[in-house]
Amino acid sequence: MATDKSNMQLVVNGILNENPIFRLVLSMCPAVGISTTMMNGLMLGVAVLFVQVFSSVTIAIFKDYIHPRIRIPTYTLTIATWVTVIDLVLAAFLPEAYAKMGIFVKLIVAFAIITMRLEMFASKESVKASLWDGIGMGLGFMAGMMAIGFVRELLGMGTLMGYDILGFKPLLFFILPCAGFFVVGLMMAFFNYIEIAYKKAKQA
Amino acid sequence: MKDISTIIIRLTLACILAGVVMGLTFIFTSNAKKHNEHVKEQKVMASLLGYSKNHPMPESMAMHEVYRYVITKDANLTVGYLVPLQEQGFTFITIDLDGRFLSATPVEIQPQLVIDENERQKAIATRLDLDPQFLRYADKTIIVTDQGRRQAYLLTGAFPGFKTFISVMLALDPSFTILGLEILEHEEDPGLGGEIVQDYFKNQFKGKPFTAIKRLEVTKTPLPDEYRQALEAEKSGISKKEITAIQEQYKDHDIYALTGATISSDAVTRGTKGIVRKFAYRIAILDQVIQGQNIAVPF
Repeated sequence: MATDKSNMQLVVNGILNENPIFRLVLSMCPAVGISTTMMNGLMLGVAVLFVQVFSSVTIAIFKDYIHPRIRIPTYTLTIATWVTVIDLVLAAFLPEAYAKMGIFVKLIVAFAIITMRLEMFASKESVKASLWDGIGMGLGFMAGMMAIGFVRELLGMGTLMGYDILGFKPLLFFILPCAGFFVVGLMMAFFNYIEIAYKKAKQA
Repeated sequence: MKDISTIIIRLTLACILAGVVMGLTFIFTSNAKKHNEHVKEQKVMASLLGYSKNHPMPESMAMHEVYRYVITKDANLTVGYLVPLQEQGFTFITIDLDGRFLSATPVEIQPQLVIDENERQKAIATRLDLDPQFLRYADKTIIVTDQGRRQAYLLTGAFPGFKTFISVMLALDPSFTILGLEILEHEEDPGLGGEIVQDYFKNQFKGKPFTAIKRLEVTKTPLPDEYRQALEAEKSGISKKEITAIQEQYKDHDIYALTGATISSDAVTRGTKGIVRKFAYRIAILDQVIQGQNIAVPF
């Protein structure tokens, strides 16, 4: 089964139609736990983007040699390998970036979105399509995390990307872990509402 | 049967492949990583003592490294310290658990090689005629002197955090008041426990006297705004005088916990408390032994 979408459509698909957080509702742990600031969202997004792209391409290359019964262990092994390699390379050659991103990279091994994308897409499609799908999913995850981070940081700490915007802290509640669920849920409802309204307007 | 053998073979191959990739990356990156860690440690040490690139350490200051070992021979525990000598070379002092002096053995090792853990271990073990497996390296302390007078102690240590070990470096003055705390490595959750690296948390330890450290706890009351401004001096830009005044006011106060990360805050507080208390106890014994035996040390 080959996808009939163009490269650009695959990228847009990852950001909008199949956004990992708001549409596929995957990788909720980081979405709730770590999205307290926009910067965290961006950092984790970059880390996921790289791991997703590398893992997708690897699985797409080796898909014919992976026995269907052991595909999940193989995916986990692939992701773990790439996480370790990126972690080591960053620590050795980009110590400045590692100081900021190190803790995010190590978290990724257990992310549902990457395994799911390997299972649903990379193990069936061509290498090129998997590359673009990986980029789309990575960007979609980054956009989702940054959107949640935007709301939580602004409402919880009154800052954006670390810069003081409001000058006061509206509600500390928003940076607590449980608020992550509320923000994700409300944003999901908001995006669904926009979509329904858009479709209705189109019909009329 | 055929199925299971292909599964086994392919999974084994995949594991071997992954292992080779990770192993090769490790080989190619380990030297650069070690170098980066060393550079970072030097930078952290200088910044904890209040020096930077623009304001370098004076020539008269020197750093002397003391390595602590635990020797477990014949089911007896003894503590060993490798200390530098005034003239040249090193001596290995062993002390029993009651703080009594046992022996002092000169150890010949090149000053460049002493920083390497394996070389150091080998040199001590051959000199003591001991199987290296009975000799366990514990930690190192750096004693900073200015014209022979003690200025500060730099301690490294690690303790369990929320997820894995948190490794820190502490600077103490000769009366064990904390000069600064730096988190070297941690894997706490970003945005929650990861906030331990922020100035408004770690700077709370700055200026805490030994009497306060001994009974240091974590409080869950919110961090007062003026204190936060003093802790984040670089951001808020308030004057040095005000900072000292506010720090003086809060110096005996407990540590304000991070929002949503009480366990991490507690771990750092307890860990720091433990490191300082144990160090104060050990250095007193070591000083006593060095004085009693007239060992010429440069600190």
